[in-house]
Amino acid sequence: MSLLIRLLQALALLLFVGAATAEHTSNWAVLVSTSRFWFNYRHLANVLSLYRTVKRLGIPDSQIILMLPDDMACNPRNAFPGTVYSNADRAVDLYGDNIEVDYRGYEVTVENFIRLLTDRLDEDVPRSKRLGSDAGSNVLVYMTGHGGDQFLKFQDAEEIGAWDLADAFGQMWEKKRYHELLFMIDTCQANTMYTHFYSPNIVATGSSELDQSSYSHHADNDVGVAVIDRWTYYVLEFLETQVTSANSKLTLGDLFDSYDMSKIHSQPGVRWDLFPGGEQEGRLRTVVDFFGNVQNVEIENANATDPGSLKEDLAEIARLVEKWRKRDEEYSAILGNSSQSQSEGAQSHTVQLSSKKPVGATKMAEAGSWGKRLVGLSVVGACTAVWVAGSILGRSA
Amino acid sequence: MTSKNGDHGSPQTSSTLKADPKPSAQRVPPPETPEAIQTRFRVIAAFWAVIIFLGFPIWWKTTSIYRAHLPIQEMADWADGKTCRPVFPLEIHVAAPTMQLPESQHLVRTTQHALDDLNEFAAHHLRLKLTNDTETSTAQGIDNTPITGSMMDDAPDTALTVRVVAQEGLATPRSELRADTTQLDIFYPPSQVPIPSSSNPPLSVFIAEELQRLYSEEKATIAYILSGGAAGRDSESISRRLRRSMKYADTYHLSFSLFTPGSAPSSWDIEAAVQEYLSPLLHAFGPISNFTIDTQVQLYATFSPMAPPPVYDETESAWTLKKEDLSAFINAAEWPLNPSIGNGPTLNFILYVPDPSQSPMVVKENRASSWIVPQWGGVFLLNPPLEQAGQSGSQTNPGHITQESLRPAFMTFSHQLLTLLGTPTTPASLPLRLQSLIRVRAATLLLSASSTMGSLARLTESLAAIPIPATVASSVSTTLAQLSSTCSHLREGRFGAALTSARIAETEAERSFFEKSMVGQVYFPDEHKVAVYLPLLGPIGVPLLVSLMKELKRLVAGWKARRRSTA
Amino acid sequence: MAVDRRKVAVFGAAFVLRLLLICLFPSLPDLLTGRVEVSTPVNSFKRLQEGLYLYTRNVSPYDGGVFHQAPLLLPLFSLLPDVNSNPIPTAIFYFLVDLVNAHALATISESGQSVQSRLHSAMRKHIRWDGTSVAAWFLFNPFTIATCLARSTSVFTTSGILLAVSNAVSGNTLNAMLALGLASYLSMYPALLFVPLALLCYDQRAQKSAQAPSSGLFILQHGAILSGSIAGLLGLSILITGNFWEFMSATYGFHLLVPDLTPNVGLWWYFFIEMFDSFREFFLGVFWLHLASYVGGLTARLRRQPLFIITSLLGVFAVFKPYPSISDASLYFALLPLYRHLFPLMRYTFFAISALLYSSLLGPAFYHLWIYAGSGNANFFYAITLVWSLGLSILLADSIFAALRDEWEQDHPERKGQEVKQV
Repeated sequence: MSLLIRLLQALALLLFVGAATAEHTSNWAVLVSTSRFWFNYRHLANVLSLYRTVKRLGIPDSQIILMLPDDMACNPRNAFPGTVYSNADRAVDLYGDNIEVDYRGYEVTVENFIRLLTDRLDEDVPRSKRLGSDAGSNVLVYMTGHGGDQFLKFQDAEEIGAWDLADAFGQMWEKKRYHELLFMIDTCQANTMYTHFYSPNIVATGSSELDQSSYSHHADNDVGVAVIDRWTYYVLEFLETQVTSANSKLTLGDLFDSYDMSKIHSQPGVRWDLFPGGEQEGRLRTVVDFFGNVQNVEIENANATDPGSLKEDLAEIARLVEKWRKRDEEYSAILGNSSQSQSEGAQSHTVQLSSKKPVGATKMAEAGSWGKRLVGLSVVGACTAVWVAGSILGRSA
Repeated sequence: MTSKNGDHGSPQTSSTLKADPKPSAQRVPPPETPEAIQTRFRVIAAFWAVIIFLGFPIWWKTTSIYRAHLPIQEMADWADGKTCRPVFPLEIHVAAPTMQLPESQHLVRTTQHALDDLNEFAAHHLRLKLTNDTETSTAQGIDNTPITGSMMDDAPDTALTVRVVAQEGLATPRSELRADTTQLDIFYPPSQVPIPSSSNPPLSVFIAEELQRLYSEEKATIAYILSGGAAGRDSESISRRLRRSMKYADTYHLSFSLFTPGSAPSSWDIEAAVQEYLSPLLHAFGPISNFTIDTQVQLYATFSPMAPPPVYDETESAWTLKKEDLSAFINAAEWPLNPSIGNGPTLNFILYVPDPSQSPMVVKENRASSWIVPQWGGVFLLNPPLEQAGQSGSQTNPGHITQESLRPAFMTFSHQLLTLLGTPTTPASLPLRLQSLIRVRAATLLLSASSTMGSLARLTESLAAIPIPATVASSVSTTLAQLSSTCSHLREGRFGAALTSARIAETEAERSFFEKSMVGQVYFPDEHKVAVYLPLLGPIGVPLLVSLMKELKRLVAGWKARRRSTA
Repeated sequence: MAVDRRKVAVFGAAFVLRLLLICLFPSLPDLLTGRVEVSTPVNSFKRLQEGLYLYTRNVSPYDGGVFHQAPLLLPLFSLLPDVNSNPIPTAIFYFLVDLVNAHALATISESGQSVQSRLHSAMRKHIRWDGTSVAAWFLFNPFTIATCLARSTSVFTTSGILLAVSNAVSGNTLNAMLALGLASYLSMYPALLFVPLALLCYDQRAQKSAQAPSSGLFILQHGAILSGSIAGLLGLSILITGNFWEFMSATYGFHLLVPDLTPNVGLWWYFFIEMFDSFREFFLGVFWLHLASYVGGLTARLRRQPLFIITSLLGVFAVFKPYPSISDASLYFALLPLYRHLFPLMRYTFFAISALLYSSLLGPAFYHLWIYAGSGNANFFYAITLVWSLGLSILLADSIFAALRDEWEQDHPERKGQEVKQV
């Protein structure tokens, strides 16, 4: 019997080996807009649209890093305060009730972005501002802004080079911070940004080739500025109309095939060569591998009896608790004074649980003015004495 | 920038130029006095002295990138597994109080043979050792886990004690694992006492098989980890288990939350419950990780609008949630579940008390009331008995949840904690499982710290422009030292000590890789450097250089003239 | 000692003018204290008060990173009554310091060192102002008045420098070094004046005694006195603050590393805001070296006129210091009238003075546009500080040129008055 099970297991193993290597355990998204000011409304709208999509497909806020360098919703020039739209029909308010911006305003810098990717952050940076991905995480990196040949401008003040980005991804790979990575960029000459990548398991796609501009899709006359970029618009159109649920089986190949140059007005690019198996293998990845979230909830069957199941564990834990209580009682019996020992026992249990004592504020003593004045007088006196002595000595010399 | 530099260049320029004491009419250039020439020489020398003796050292010091020396080769060797091949020799004590000494020695020898024959994974092997002291291990339970003893001395940890006892009235040997200790009792019919001549007595075979079975999961797990998750038996279930469990951390933060859609229950005996049900387990985990705990009660916590609502099931007479909808159960957007406290990862445990109108609530498929969210935490649906509220006759949840009614929830949470921390599911004794976890964690940490070292070594070599502060070098040397002590502890079977070293190694390795100052503009193109230096060198450098050239020319001319005159 | 009536009148008038100003405009001192042109992070009275508050409450004054001035100021100011309830005593204290400075200036002027030193004698000795006029020029200079009313602690550095010079010219070399020690202790950069000041002392000594002492030994001796006085003051500071490294890094470290880039009238702040981070340290070195490199060159070139070296160096500091304020300019302007005899030789005075006037009028306006009205940006104010520095630099270069011309005329008396041209 057991032999048969072994055999079956081995068979199952053979079947699953392929799937096991392709599987990831979590999804992270890093969505970055790099430009501020009102006329760059569309870049923030791009990012917010994508944010909405990945959230819809199940990536929780805690696994989305959203970087917005400006606040369009509260811009005084916004005719619709508190809202951001990516379409002139203004059907969906992207700002909505629930957006969690992790890096905003002047926090969106090249340095912070690279630190985020490589996790070289201060110890006290909260977890919500960190990319907590690991070797099992699929990471989506989306960037938009104004760029040029092998650079992307951040905030009008600085720029990130294609080399910096490649090195950051290289370091992520070294430290096993991603399983597979989808890099998307919508900017002028976007495809130049991924030319220097060298770490494996990256699929990169951009909106336009070298010496090509990326264009905005349309403007909203009431908002007064362009509200979305073309490439992002058509990517979103695909995601919104075709990838309707987190169980969608559409692949990256389908997504990239949907690029239509006559609509986008620039030549989008895709880079496959870093992906193991190249284009052939990469095309098979589903869109929700990157835009969705894996969450395999495991229900505990209260009636199962196999080893490690809930029931058996419960019995073991109950025994442990029982034993512990006995020890406690013995301990208190030894001590005699039960109440005192209880608290002490509690203390010994919670050695690991007790938190650090907060550092208290320093007490400010009220001015001991006379003491200080005495010090002052003596200092002035000493200086004067030296001075007078100096005058006498100096003159005599 | 040019104008700025031009500006501070100007007074210097003018002063140097004016240092040439030739403000005379052009028609009759007056002869320069030797003193004037000497003064000019001194002025130029003064400026150049500052540049050479202060300027160049400062330039050198401030623009060079400090790169501490790292033992690259050694680090790479660790990462490639050349330095250390981890082995896991488990020491198992055998006590046979009912046997004669030669018999028991023979039993141990033959059992060891049988074990060695059965074992197919060389890194993990069991070593039997005969001991006479029958009572040593009976007292050894969860409270004095092997570490506490072996931290002091060099003796290997005792993984298990096998007590071989004769029992009348048995046909075949029988084994019994004591669930709360590290002791395996083997009962055998007295007739099966191994005869010294037999090379393969059935009792030995039986014991060997029992032991093999006991450690098969651990063995498979370690094999899986050491091979990098590529091969091995049961790799599917192991990888599933490993994927479900949290990444190792020195400190985990446990967050217990009571969520309810209404106003009741608004309090729970959480402190007592944690104390009573959880702290024994946490204490048992002490050698492996530390824990911090916080708790919260959140009233009026609604489901997210997109989540499918529970459905009333007539047959079950309960509100049911479908399995595939459970991932949407937690309203991540609105429930305050992401406390960014402390350094460690957070494990969330949610106790959900459904609204009286939706009580009881269970999972549709199997009427379970709890589930695990991999790498995140667990959920427990608590359906307390409803109370009649006053005259209206409507039912409400009790306002307070007592410690006793929290018992099932906390037992489940404890189980979920075990699962999420990656505790192996077998054998059936918790102390053994924790010991097994210690070995698994030690192996994981050893590998992960080693691979971090390799990553850092490669990073150092590939990015020549990145600074490497001295703290990184010291972290690296600590890591390497701790790694080798981990390795030797493992070899000698002191797994608790090995884990302690591996924990330090891991922490230091992470610290060295994630050193804050090892970032910045890694790439700085040369044209930028020109842009930085040119405005500086232009206005200041040119007059200085010109004056230097003039002065040198004069010196050379003077020297030649003197030679000519002497010649 | 005969009372010089004119001098008393000038000093009295200056005192009364200041008193009138604070009585008529009680908010003026606080307004000036807040101006970036007057108060820099290293001399601001507001910051001093913060430090004082902490000090009197037995908390380290450098906690909180606001106070960056020398610790000995604290016991001194703890003697004065609280400035918020009773501002007059503090103000009068500052007035008196100003008068002391003016007196020192008058002493320097009356010594005639500026026109007639051991190695040099100016050609136009007759064109000069007497001590009282020089003092009046200092006392009624609006920059000096503003500095005094703003209670900037630079006035103590000014005192140190002026007393050092006045003691040097009157032959008390010991006190000169002590005073320079005080100035260096307060704001560090006056230590660069050591070489010219020692030369001045040496010339004085050589003039008085029959045989000149050995110059190397003399300089070593005085260097030792200077270091001794600084060490003594630092020792006192340790007694007061208790933590040596804390106050060293908060005061001198702050001067050296320039972490606070609050706008001021200098050139550093804007440059270091714009600088790439990786080059920051390098350019810190460059800027400090630039400041220091003048000492050697000017000393070598103008060896014959040590007092003029000091004056010119003070001008250089007023432009190229990390945290300059108008008080540094006022010190330079105070010493410049000593060289009244050079004025006829200066050729760009009109341009320099109009640049200075232009920038001192437009500076506050542009600052307002940038910070308060929001209709300008940092470049507005920075452009004005450039003009200000340009004006000062022109004045400085022009005066140095005039001094050289004067020396040259001394060497070639036959060419006096001829039209000259710089080659």
